[in-house]
Amino acid sequence: MTYILWLDSPDSAGDPRLGGKFASLAEMTAAGFTVPGGFGVTTDAYRAFLAAAGLAEQARETRRRARGAGLETVESLSAAMTRAVESAPMPAEVEDAIRGAYAALAERAGDPAAPVAVRSSGESEDLAGASFAGQYHTYLWVSGADQVLAHVRRCWAGMFGPAVLTYRPAAGQEEETDFAICVGVQEMVPARCAGVVFTLDPVTGDRSKVVIEGCWGLGEGVVSGAITPSRFVVDKVTFERVGSSVAVQETMFALDPGTGTTGLVDVPAELREQSCLTDDQIRELAGLAKRIERHRGAAQDIEWALGPDGGLRVLQVRPETVWSNRARERLVSSPARAIDQVVARFAGIGVTRGPGRA
Amino acid sequence: MTATSPQSPPPPTPPTSEPTPQPAAAAVPGVRFASPFAVPTPPGAEGWESMYPYYALLSEDRRKDEDARFWFFDGMHNPEPLYPFDTIATENWWVAVSQMSTRVWPIPLAGGIDHRIVNGYLYVSPTAVTDQEQIAARARHFAERAGHYYENWDEIYAGWEAKARDCIERLKAIDFAPLPDLEPLESVTGGRGLYSSYDLLTRYTTLINNFFEMGSYHFEMLNLGYGAYLTFREFCQAAFPGISDQTIASMVSGIDIMLFRPDDEVRKLAALAVELGLDRALLSSEDPDEALAAVAGAGDPGARWLAAFEAAKDPWFWFSTGAGYQHSDRAWIDDLRLPFRALRGYIAGLRAGEDIRRPLEAITEERERVTAEYRSYLPTDEDRESFDGLVALARKVFPFVENHNFYVEHWHHSMFWSKVRSLGRVFVAHGFFDDEEDIFYLHRTEVQSALYDLLIGWGTGIEPRGVTYWRPEIARRRRIREALKAHSPAPALGVPPEFLTEPLTIMLWGITPEAVQDWLGVADSGERVLRGVAASPGRAVGRARVILDPEQLHEVRDGEILVCRITAPSWAPVFSRLAAAVSDVGGIMAHTAIVCREYGLPSVVGTGFATTTVRTGELLEVDGDTGTVRVLEEPEAAEDAGIAAVGA
Repeated sequence: MTYILWLDSPDSAGDPRLGGKFASLAEMTAAGFTVPGGFGVTTDAYRAFLAAAGLAEQARETRRRARGAGLETVESLSAAMTRAVESAPMPAEVEDAIRGAYAALAERAGDPAAPVAVRSSGESEDLAGASFAGQYHTYLWVSGADQVLAHVRRCWAGMFGPAVLTYRPAAGQEEETDFAICVGVQEMVPARCAGVVFTLDPVTGDRSKVVIEGCWGLGEGVVSGAITPSRFVVDKVTFERVGSSVAVQETMFALDPGTGTTGLVDVPAELREQSCLTDDQIRELAGLAKRIERHRGAAQDIEWALGPDGGLRVLQVRPETVWSNRARERLVSSPARAIDQVVARFAGIGVTRGPGRA
Repeated sequence: MTATSPQSPPPPTPPTSEPTPQPAAAAVPGVRFASPFAVPTPPGAEGWESMYPYYALLSEDRRKDEDARFWFFDGMHNPEPLYPFDTIATENWWVAVSQMSTRVWPIPLAGGIDHRIVNGYLYVSPTAVTDQEQIAARARHFAERAGHYYENWDEIYAGWEAKARDCIERLKAIDFAPLPDLEPLESVTGGRGLYSSYDLLTRYTTLINNFFEMGSYHFEMLNLGYGAYLTFREFCQAAFPGISDQTIASMVSGIDIMLFRPDDEVRKLAALAVELGLDRALLSSEDPDEALAAVAGAGDPGARWLAAFEAAKDPWFWFSTGAGYQHSDRAWIDDLRLPFRALRGYIAGLRAGEDIRRPLEAITEERERVTAEYRSYLPTDEDRESFDGLVALARKVFPFVENHNFYVEHWHHSMFWSKVRSLGRVFVAHGFFDDEEDIFYLHRTEVQSALYDLLIGWGTGIEPRGVTYWRPEIARRRRIREALKAHSPAPALGVPPEFLTEPLTIMLWGITPEAVQDWLGVADSGERVLRGVAASPGRAVGRARVILDPEQLHEVRDGEILVCRITAPSWAPVFSRLAAAVSDVGGIMAHTAIVCREYGLPSVVGTGFATTTVRTGELLEVDGDTGTVRVLEEPEAAEDAGIAAVGA
């Protein structure tokens, strides 16, 4: 049983016990991309916990009963299971492993109470829908081993939220009742600005573009849609900026020193109307996105943050699904012979976008 | 009545001073431009119409049509008020471009381009064909005729180059000399029966015909070339929304094209000078004659370099400082200061250990990388097939598109203007003019008449009328032209067009529906932001240097932003000192945008108003990615203008 897998350990890359998100990050780390350091509390740890607490059977049963049940039933099943997960004792070897790993991470950071981000990383790709439903969690600025343990438990409990229980995989796929979860623990990046970057234009599907969305502060604002981000469109081939709109930003997600947790705070006045990224940073980010896409062999959707040192970090990578899953349609409907196309153009029949790409 | 019938003197009352029967429409922001009939004659320019032929002027008889059209100022080819003689170039393409659209191909959607001269400035008006039946009928002819050209392009282009070279050779052979007091003995004993008078007269006719011959070749393939490129461009814009024009052009434009040769020759001469140890001699003076004398005094190496210099000069220094459409666009060969300035710069670079060669291999590799990468982002095999076909066709037609410019506007036209000057010297020798340049104040048909007047005087031995007729007339025209020159023309007149379909209008002048809308809006807003065509990427901030005359190029200082009506490729030597370039006119394929991109200079062209809005010394921000020019601040003090260049 391996309860802890480090992102920068060579064996971790793509290890399924890290869940989708962290396995990808381990792979990114191995490929030399700058990913905040950390470890995953593996699916083995989760299973060991359920087994030791005698909850494995209850978990399966909960899922089985929730299938096709009414909302009220689902909610009461969810509440019972969540209580059980949050109160059951954790096996000592699991707890020790997590404490040990956190201590090692804190030592690397040079701060015994180093703040970390604690995030769910689902085992099965089928559970992508669940993350959209908001049942997979990210907890920021978690500090100290006790807090880390508490938040790991919360992520585990998140597996039994009503939306996860009612989530149905795509038709034709086997329903799984036994999937597990990994919980990732990473150094907290107190982002100066952050956001997402797509390696294609999500609106048109144009693969020759990199589209960056970013805002001041943590990227939660962009991901949740709570903050209107600035948007930059960069040509992937030439790195020319082909579009940009800088949003005026009044508030941002950041550490609220009063509460010690993440909250909405005012953007310093002098930054409100300013672009959160410089021209050079936009270029660097577009280059990073392009390298990641090339490395992963398909269009990606990437979460990024700019650290206080001005360095770019990769927080998450996942395959773009909307355009990549759509059947490839001919882009331009026009005769194949160039001379005919040109002659038609003179007669007013221009190159037009094919159907489905309006 | 007019300049075309010089037998009668110009009318004493200019037409514009006559009361007009109806008020002419003023400009309405966002809706229309001022009527061409509403343009007032600048003070001191009264009677300007007499310098130009009747058919080039607005008239009450054609007012209904003239008032309903859209006219835009062709500052690209003729930034200044036209010299009467220079109308040969504009009148040539008035027919030569239009006939291709209407009679030769014909182009399904585009009719002829009409011309009018307003206050001495050339305004042109494209015509759209909108009747569906007409379009269909024209399209059938076009498919057959244009198809033939595209199918046999390389062969036809090879033939074109041969015709162009032959035309230039025949131009070169035309010589003008003052008439002899007594015919040489050989012309009598030879029994030819034709004398110097006949030769002078027919050489002039040959010269004029030679211009129209090259003028016809000029447009033989141009529309087709632009059309193939436009189709590829539109494919790219549909496939990669937002892709910039310069990127599309970079996939197609040639690397080893003739327009780069003059500058390449200067680089080679610089390298040879350093190799032969002549760098000191060439750097010894800013005056090309003195520098050449210093080289001539340097023994064998000097002679070797001079031989290389002479070889490079013909044809590569037949390189105009303007668009080549005006006689005042002097070529390098007439004014060696420009190439010598570049030469000194390259020699200094070589001495500092720089590699001054253009990185041809790297540019070629980059072009292939860019093309292959865009191709890889297309979704289906069919799209890639379309892309491959269109890029190949665009590359096939581009050598003509790019090189015709050197053959026609630079090599031929520069030589043509210099031949006209040599005819001007004949008039000076016979007492008609004080200066060879005065000939350009006469329309070509007036020159024909004046020449006959000269022959009469020579034949009869009695003072010709022209000796007393032309001096005051030329003085009058000079005054008028100066008055016209002091007034910048509006970028457009009349009614904004519903359709813009003429490929040259879009490609060359950058006249797009968006540009027209911008002009309509900006015209009255007084805003200090100019929009134009993003011709070359990048952003720069610097002090403006407004250049209206190539003569002023020597005023440009390091780090300045050039603001001009049009940039010319032969200005290349100053480009290395600039932070950016902005022009009033031009589209992505304006003769010069090509070179701007080559020099990696942020550039916005087709702004319409830069030279009339921006003053030398103002701090500008030029964004070559978005095509905007912003005036950041006024000049601090007149004497600081240009010195406080940012980014120098």
